[in-house]
Amino acid sequence: MKKKKMIISSQTMELDVVRKVEALSGTSVRRCFQCGKCSAGCPMATFMEHPPNRIVRLLQLGQWQRILAGRSIWYCASCETCSTRCPNKVHLASIMDALRKLSWDAEGPSKESYVQLANRLFLENIRSYGRQYEMRLAAVFNVKSGQFLKDLMLGPKLISKGKLKMFHQKNRNMAEIEKIFSRIEEMRKKGEAL
Amino acid sequence: MSRIGVFVCHCGENISRTVDVERVAAEVGKLPGVALATDYKYMCSDPGQGLLKKAIAEQRLSHVVVAACSPRMHERTFRKAVESAGINPFLCEMANIREHCSWVHDNREEATEKAIEIVGMMVERVKRNRALPAITVPVTKRSLIIGGGIAGIQAALDIADAGHEVVLVEREPSIGGHMAQLSETFPTLDCSQCIMTPRMVDVANHPRITLHSYSEVEHVEGYIGNFQVTIRKKARSVDEKKCTGCGVCIEKCPIRKIPNKFDCNLGMRPAIYIPFPQAVPNTPVIDRESCAMFKSGKCGLCKKVCGPGAVDYEQEDRLIVEPVGAIVVATGFDLYDITEKPKGSQIKGYGEFGHGRIPDVIDGMTFERLASASGPTGGRILRPSDGREPKQIVFIQCVGSRAREKGISYCSKVCCMYTAKQTMLYHHKVHDGQAYVFFMDARTPGKSYDEFWRRSIEEEEAVYIRGMVSRLYQKGDKIVVMGSDIAVGVQVEIEADMVVLATAVQPRSGADILAQKLGISYDKYHFYSEAHAKLRPVECATAGIYLAGACQGPKDIPDTVSQASAAAAKVMTLFAREKLEREPIVARVREAGCVGCFYCRKVCAYGAIEEKEIRDRQGNLIKVVAYVNPGVCGGCGTCQATCPSKSVELDGYTDEQIVAMIEAL
Repeated sequence: MKKKKMIISSQTMELDVVRKVEALSGTSVRRCFQCGKCSAGCPMATFMEHPPNRIVRLLQLGQWQRILAGRSIWYCASCETCSTRCPNKVHLASIMDALRKLSWDAEGPSKESYVQLANRLFLENIRSYGRQYEMRLAAVFNVKSGQFLKDLMLGPKLISKGKLKMFHQKNRNMAEIEKIFSRIEEMRKKGEAL
Repeated sequence: MSRIGVFVCHCGENISRTVDVERVAAEVGKLPGVALATDYKYMCSDPGQGLLKKAIAEQRLSHVVVAACSPRMHERTFRKAVESAGINPFLCEMANIREHCSWVHDNREEATEKAIEIVGMMVERVKRNRALPAITVPVTKRSLIIGGGIAGIQAALDIADAGHEVVLVEREPSIGGHMAQLSETFPTLDCSQCIMTPRMVDVANHPRITLHSYSEVEHVEGYIGNFQVTIRKKARSVDEKKCTGCGVCIEKCPIRKIPNKFDCNLGMRPAIYIPFPQAVPNTPVIDRESCAMFKSGKCGLCKKVCGPGAVDYEQEDRLIVEPVGAIVVATGFDLYDITEKPKGSQIKGYGEFGHGRIPDVIDGMTFERLASASGPTGGRILRPSDGREPKQIVFIQCVGSRAREKGISYCSKVCCMYTAKQTMLYHHKVHDGQAYVFFMDARTPGKSYDEFWRRSIEEEEAVYIRGMVSRLYQKGDKIVVMGSDIAVGVQVEIEADMVVLATAVQPRSGADILAQKLGISYDKYHFYSEAHAKLRPVECATAGIYLAGACQGPKDIPDTVSQASAAAAKVMTLFAREKLEREPIVARVREAGCVGCFYCRKVCAYGAIEEKEIRDRQGNLIKVVAYVNPGVCGGCGTCQATCPSKSVELDGYTDEQIVAMIEAL
């Protein structure tokens, strides 16, 4: 994190970012009235330096650089508990998505590359098989991230419970899956999707 | 010999659980003078009251004691019951063996002993009660309304429309009050003047409303139904009857550079003026402190140009007396000034906000005048210092309000909403500007209020920052606002072009003096006190005087109008009767003993003590004694406690009765 004066001033308020995030996420940022219910139920909040409500508050004050400097948005598991429970219809998970997209655009896959790697492999798996092939996901993740032995001992337990299949099962209608992916890519090029 | 009937109530189990009611009845039955003592499950029920009435007839009872709950609960019920059975209602008393005994004790034996003593005391007291005749007073069906703001106007129109005459007194040259100064109103953003001025015209044209503008209440005498109010009509120097309102005098007046109070001193007016174009009455007034004619005797231009010859430099203050039956007080509010030292504070104003020395730090009302289409800038929001449009504007809430250190601990109630409205007006008028609001809590209880406040944030893009401002200072032509955001936990610094302070709502200056003239009570801030916070919110403790609007506490327009209509309804209820009947528990003076020291007059909260001359047959004055006006007396008994010669006593609470009660223990 860059060393900065711990003060928010009118010069550093980038209020345009609020509009940008609202356009990208399709939900209102200004609507949040800081009740804190999102942070109260967030399973990842303990790992974040800014809990979810403070992320929204920083965003409302146009403190984009502060959000970018932190890792909180990458720790969000997109479980959508916050969005489900928000009393004021703020879809916080979508805001987090939008922030990650903006962060990627601004700084590329520089930070929290494990999170980004996992997301990428997850989607590649879906594209190849039409469903998740956990064994391959785990193996490729460990190889590509260079942590070969990560969570290895969990393997036998998961296999014995039938949670981890040795061989993949392919979706029968792969053409439809491919259509979804290419449509999203098309939309991305036009800037209609994240 | 009195024949007293004692009726002991079980109150279901409320009393009988801890008090042996049968034993109470048996013991009390042995007291001298008691002809009958019995108990019943629910005395207040219809069969219970029937039992009481039957016993009065059969046993020829002369007095009644009901041993049950608090007299606040059922005294009226039982007094009515005995009255219908032919006994004077004031010969019935209640012995409170519920709140004062069964509810507060566990020991049955001791509680029963205590209950017997309580009932025994009341037996001794009721024996010495006098049959009191009801007091009736006539009603003058005219009402006085003090204050011509929206509260006074609403009350005046309601009462006048109901067919009663109204006298409306306004201190300023025009009615309209603060509402006439506002630009637009929350939560619908309708133009204040557009909804206000038709009502002002209605007041001016109403056949049953007499309007005394530029006038003040000088003196009030009398009591409910019969007040005599002396009104001082200040010299306007323009004859209201002759003036046609053409405005030539205003155009010709050579002295033009006087700050206009109506525009919060932003605009200028001449020495002969009307405060604003829609003023009612549309009659100018000469400001004698600024007018050249009054200062040096040289000018007289307005008199020369006045066609109908209405200008009259010789006019003097006039005193007129109006007889009225009811008074509605609607004197409204003033805004706290950051340069002033509030009552009860050690600290003078807001030094941290520059004590009012930074020209572009203004208060909410000044912003209203800037935003008003009829204001000094024609509705453009411009800085008072250099006339530029502010691109960054900061609103600060709770200035004075909720600041115990500054002497005001209450919430001013309207600021959250009007600040939200002002951010909207600003956004509508300055499209490329940004509004910031520093606040502690947003208090928006009211129909469509919270939605309105949220709209200012979500749609009008005001940035609300929870956290107060520590300090403001001038830096070049900017004002640096040092605040904090408590959600993030950091300091926030904004370089603003203009700062608007939501200053506290205070009672009108002089509210205490008027209260003393009227004999009504007020709190430590000088807001007038209602008789009961919940159940009698528009009445004063002083009978016949009612409250409307912000003089009773900070209020927005809808609340003010509601209260004004409620006060009008109370006045109409009073006027619906030809004569007033009231509880005859009043003080009486024993004239033989009274030495005329009038200590009683000093302590009387109701102003009920008058002077009475005692003369012999030749008409020579023997002495002056105190006389209690039964129409005014509230029956509090303070005079009785004060009288050094023991010459004034409250019926039902005489010294003889109190001593007898104590001896019964």
